[in-house]
Amino acid sequence: MNGGTVTDVVSAVFLLLGALSCLLGALGLVRLPDLPARLQAATKPQTLGLLLILVGTAVRLDFENAATLVLVILFQAVTAPVISQIVARSAYRTGTLDRRALVVDELAERMEHEAREGGPAGRK
Amino acid sequence: MTVLRRWPQVLWLTVVWVLLWGTISVKIVLGGILVAAAVTALFPLPLLPRLPFRPWALLQLGGYLLVDLVVSGVQVAWEALRHGPRAQAGIVAVPLLTDSERITTFVAAATALTPGTVVLQIDRAGGRLYVYTLGLRRPDDAARVRRQMERLQERMVRTVGEGR
Repeated sequence: MNGGTVTDVVSAVFLLLGALSCLLGALGLVRLPDLPARLQAATKPQTLGLLLILVGTAVRLDFENAATLVLVILFQAVTAPVISQIVARSAYRTGTLDRRALVVDELAERMEHEAREGGPAGRK
Repeated sequence: MTVLRRWPQVLWLTVVWVLLWGTISVKIVLGGILVAAAVTALFPLPLLPRLPFRPWALLQLGGYLLVDLVVSGVQVAWEALRHGPRAQAGIVAVPLLTDSERITTFVAAATALTPGTVVLQIDRAGGRLYVYTLGLRRPDDAARVRRQMERLQERMVRTVGEGR
């Protein structure tokens, strides 16, 4: 009985923190100015939120079922960076990035330098 | 037998198979090995030199990434709430500490996993990563990003770096 209450509280804390993280991600998605900045808010707090929610769920489940959740978070952690990287790169190249919001841009300096030298912009 | 040399992949796929079933029994494990071996034989990946296995360093790296995920998660949230549409960012050139393609890939993935940063471009010839960072205020903040990335790279090399 007492053990059940502890589990409930732990689970609730994790679930609420996870939900909060997802909410903050959603707010960032609405409020931030350009694509790469929104990308940060859209992908990362979501990953953390999912992680927390899965932990909160796992403490309430049997061990067998909880093991499957490990796979969910693992695949999320492996696939999310790939996608965000491709999107960010395309955003920079197609100019959906708001350059006025950049404090420093050392990549632009390098690309300009290369354009002057006549060399190809470094791929990959 | 090339499948035998790829035993880590077979083992890993079998583990995934068993986890997906959610229960463990002889039938499921044997079936998993069969399916894993078939997949490995039908879709062979290039054989790379095996990664060193350093459990302690791996655990430390995992912990570091988890802490980073939370800390920078809070920073991104703060940036979104406090500055919102006037949030500022920067693209910082970070020197690469290694010429290993695999470690560079891991570093880029870890960078993308932590909130606020993502690798925009990898310049292997010049040995540089170009990292987009949300929440830079002044150009001097670039030095902080470089230090952070250096630490991440050191950890990565300690965990999966080839040789001793």
